[in-house]
Amino acid sequence: MSKYQVDKVMREVVMDGKVASMYRADTEKFLEDRELTEEERKALIDIDYATLYRLGAHPFLLNGFTRLVWKGDKAALNTEYRKNIAPFGYPDFST
Amino acid sequence: MAKLVEIMGITHSPNFPGQIAGPDPEPAIIEAARDYEQMRKRMAGFRPDVLVVIASDHLNQFFMDNMPAFLIGKAPRAEGPFPHELRTFGIAPYRAEVEVDVAKSMLQLGSKMGVDFSFSDEFRIDHAFTVPLNFIRPEMDLPIVPIFTNVMAPPVPPAQRFFEVGKAIRRIIDELPSNKRVGVLSSGHLAIEIGGPKEGRSSSDPDFDRRMMNLVGSGDVETVIEESTWDRMLASGNVTPGFLNFVLLMGLADGKPPSVSGVRFPKSKGSVPYMAWDSEVEVLP
Repeated sequence: MSKYQVDKVMREVVMDGKVASMYRADTEKFLEDRELTEEERKALIDIDYATLYRLGAHPFLLNGFTRLVWKGDKAALNTEYRKNIAPFGYPDFST
Repeated sequence: MAKLVEIMGITHSPNFPGQIAGPDPEPAIIEAARDYEQMRKRMAGFRPDVLVVIASDHLNQFFMDNMPAFLIGKAPRAEGPFPHELRTFGIAPYRAEVEVDVAKSMLQLGSKMGVDFSFSDEFRIDHAFTVPLNFIRPEMDLPIVPIFTNVMAPPVPPAQRFFEVGKAIRRIIDELPSNKRVGVLSSGHLAIEIGGPKEGRSSSDPDFDRRMMNLVGSGDVETVIEESTWDRMLASGNVTPGFLNFVLLMGLADGKPPSVSGVRFPKSKGSVPYMAWDSEVEVLP
């Protein structure tokens, strides 16, 4: 588990539009040298926010990150997001 | 010896300015905007020479590679917010000179008063600073001393420590080697959830908001500290620990009840609190 590394990726993407473009253009390459578990890497590539939430990603960063990189309908995301993370309650997001 | 002339706490919700400016604001927003206009006049009435601004950072300037609990900014200027916050929230920028001499004196006096503040010579201030400053001092004509607190990255210091740091800042201001009139402006919030299952349109726990504002209003430090545990605040909303900045203000006020306090409950976003401790009654607006 490398919560810090996941948070670091999400923060970089949220804070800088150019980094966000690079991330969107080739996520696998962006994550190439990051020290992530395979589960974290796959969840970041798939924008699987529910898994990232369950693993203890910082919810404040996860919120901004998911909305920024989400490829589907953003209006629907709001409802789906809450529903899909609810089963995991409140995972510890300390790094 | 400097003089502490006013202590004030308000929200830093980046949504609030847009709610006021938007078409057809709901009654609670109109009332909250009036409260904040009164707060602006109140601070101006006390004629501060410098504003000590105590607020958090939302993992923008500081991150878990090097996370200070309490940090004094001593760069010559403070500007914000961050570009991505401007894009997301459409909030106004803010720019102020930093009163570097006061910042340095506060750092030196800190250790004597039991707080080893971190410091920074290069930083931006995020919406937690720019939103309250734009409400309280839109003229951007007063120098500030920014003090950053960690309420975002656990472990955050417990409520008791925020209270003690507030008490220490009061003693530090008392001992500053200048005759400046010092106003303190802090920002925080009540129950709020971001990126969690309870995130919604209004406060994530209005009962917490009412109870805490009643306790703050009556100066019940003991109960506030007892109930402001990390777990209790998280149960009310996963970003609720921003409340700790108000606990710090209770310490700055030496445990006394505020001169005025209140809270509005908009349906469209989190609760909008205000609190102020006046040092002198005669200059009130």
